[in-house]
Amino acid sequence: MNIVVCVKQVPEISEVKVNPETGTLVREGVASILNPFCEYALDHALRIKQATPDVNITAISMGPPQARAALLRALELGADRGVLVSDRRFAGADTWATALTLAAAVRAVREDFDLILVGKQAIDGDTAQVGPEMAEILGIPQIMYGVRMELTPNGKRLRVKRESENGYQVLEARLPVLVSASKGEAIRRLPSFADILAARQKPLEMITADALNLSEEQLGLQGSYTQVVKIFPPQAKKACRKLEGLSPDQAGREITSFLSQENFI
Amino acid sequence: MHEITSQPLDLADYRQVRRVQGWPAINEQYQAYLRDESKLTSETCDYLFFPQNEAELAAVVREMASQGVPLTVAGARTGLVGGSVPLRGGLVSLERLNAVEALYYASYAREWRVRAGCAVTLSDLNQMAMSKRFPDLERAGDQAVLAELARYQAEPGDFFYPPDPTEMSAFLGGTVATNASGARTYRYGATRDWVRGLRVILANGELLDIPRGKYFASSNGRFTIFDSQSQGRQVLVPDYSMPRTKNTSGFYAAPHMDLVDLFIGSEGMLGIITTVDVALCPRTPKCSLVQFTGSDEQALDLVESLRGQDGLQLDFLEFYSQKAIELLRRRQAEEPVAMGMPPIPEDAGAAVFFELSFDPLAVDQDFSLLAQAVERVGLSLQNSWAGYEMRELARFKTFRHMLPETVNHLISERKRQYPGLHKLGTDLAVPDDKLRPMWKVYQEALDQAGLEWLAFGHVGNNHVHINLIPRDMEDMQRGLELYGRFAAQAVAFGGTVSAEHGIGKIKAKFLKEMFTEPQIAQMKAVKRALDPQGLLNPGNIFLS
Repeated sequence: MNIVVCVKQVPEISEVKVNPETGTLVREGVASILNPFCEYALDHALRIKQATPDVNITAISMGPPQARAALLRALELGADRGVLVSDRRFAGADTWATALTLAAAVRAVREDFDLILVGKQAIDGDTAQVGPEMAEILGIPQIMYGVRMELTPNGKRLRVKRESENGYQVLEARLPVLVSASKGEAIRRLPSFADILAARQKPLEMITADALNLSEEQLGLQGSYTQVVKIFPPQAKKACRKLEGLSPDQAGREITSFLSQENFI
Repeated sequence: MHEITSQPLDLADYRQVRRVQGWPAINEQYQAYLRDESKLTSETCDYLFFPQNEAELAAVVREMASQGVPLTVAGARTGLVGGSVPLRGGLVSLERLNAVEALYYASYAREWRVRAGCAVTLSDLNQMAMSKRFPDLERAGDQAVLAELARYQAEPGDFFYPPDPTEMSAFLGGTVATNASGARTYRYGATRDWVRGLRVILANGELLDIPRGKYFASSNGRFTIFDSQSQGRQVLVPDYSMPRTKNTSGFYAAPHMDLVDLFIGSEGMLGIITTVDVALCPRTPKCSLVQFTGSDEQALDLVESLRGQDGLQLDFLEFYSQKAIELLRRRQAEEPVAMGMPPIPEDAGAAVFFELSFDPLAVDQDFSLLAQAVERVGLSLQNSWAGYEMRELARFKTFRHMLPETVNHLISERKRQYPGLHKLGTDLAVPDDKLRPMWKVYQEALDQAGLEWLAFGHVGNNHVHINLIPRDMEDMQRGLELYGRFAAQAVAFGGTVSAEHGIGKIKAKFLKEMFTEPQIAQMKAVKRALDPQGLLNPGNIFLS
């Protein structure tokens, strides 16, 4: 069985600030990590691998050369092969151009896939569109917001517990299918140092647009239907009310009365 | 040169210095200032001063000296031996001396240095060094300063300040006064190794500006310190030898020593450190690694194997004993998410925690030396946890703090039944060849006494913290007796009674385990030469 996990390198969001003058993200000095939702997707793939013989996991990432680090992380955690899809011609790609590129990459490097796992969204853009678009492009079923998944006993279908607005649904789809993961283990996996060293011996290849069988018009900015015009932080909500000059006892009473007035307690 | 002259400062008006006066007001509103992390609490204090610069501090020192009122000095109060807790007289908090004054490249030493007020915290210093943003310097707007800052920012690599005591909220000045150390002392040494200069207010209210490398003890072991009135005081360097371990017990002494070193680790007894010049160190990417072992013995085998492996450079080397792992396992069962780690492997009998340079994207890194050192003692790197991203390093750090936190929690629960009960934590270090003999002493004595205990800490420096967790007051008494025996044994092995916590007031009773009466008398003579009235930090180091 062949599983493809699409992964993205993102800035560690808790540290990201927006430059108020340029309206762009300040990325200097901000650490890059494997998108947490992609890590959940990989986690589900690894569980399936643990429970099923002969599963091969290919991690694919579209990004600049430094996104290799995210693929290395995936290899350390247990993926068998990494593929970096990188080309200057991809610059400015919106979700559609990204999905088109990734779908073409899947076809190019793992055409015989059975399952594609993606994170529900990336924590930098938060669009949650690339996964569904990939499924449409590839013409396969999709199940979004998966929290648990397992193969049916005959190995031909995938059963997925997914989050919905009101609770959970359990859906089944025949393979091949694309599933996005919205939850994984609360405690992230931790590789051994042997895993970290072994990851550096696993195949990690880089392919460019030339390998994708796409036209120039379908790539990057040219192939994008949307453009980001501006990024800005939301307006701060109501100013905080600060209690000063009160004893802990008085302050406690004041806070309790406020919470009660606002019907919080 | 062994002669130096102190400078008078333009005196500020003593009456203008911010203060709280009188025990009732201090005790009612400023209780936090009356204790440190040792929980030793002051029972009397007449003044609490908050000087905002050296001139105000000097004015306070002179006024108190003229009244014969002793003065205790407080930094961030993160110490563990009561050094900043006043026994009587006044308390001066240095928290307002918290500006970074300069960043400069010392070309002869090929290193970047920061000159900072004593109240800059280690965490702020590191944050500024690593982010390459120094708000105090940017605000000052001086063109030469900004040009130097721009040069620093243009450096391709990252920098940090290596000393890492557990409390990174500690003030720089406090860490110098106590020669603080931490896990990274294994590779980078203690605070002493990173101090390049000091400014000190002496007990007479004058300022001593001491760059490292300029004032050395004369061939007959003396410094002469003149005041602005040309009155000279002779300081005779004690003739004892320092232990071959990391150490914070007693005044530093060595032939031809640098005057800077006399003040480092002197616990505020000889003067008040106001400004410190420290060197920054280039920072390479790191990988943290917890290697599980089958037993305590195998962990010590691994420590010796790692230390003996030529060409293998670790940043720190820490130990979790079997009993420590058992306690962590129990905590993990109760609160798996708080622990933030996968389940501790079932076959783990102890662990060794270390860090080494690791570039995730490099293609030509060779870790065969590490693999050899681990496999030599029958272990496999497969049985480890490892991480190198910043968030992963933070995760390991949380895990590291989980153990002392769990011990403290256990103690506070037992304290409810026995209010007088507290943790007994050793701070003893011995030379390399005595690691195993000392471990045997601990293990046999503690198990024989039937006490609940565990061990963790800086095994790379043979500085394992033994934590006794008394179940009742009887355990407490037996533990205290054993502590005394352990301290004597560590000294007999050529070690120290206080490797990193200092002596302060809590451990003053152990000084005599390590130094003879004549040696302590030599230390007291140094104190008398610089503080004839004995007004600075009474009760620290010497039993009063």
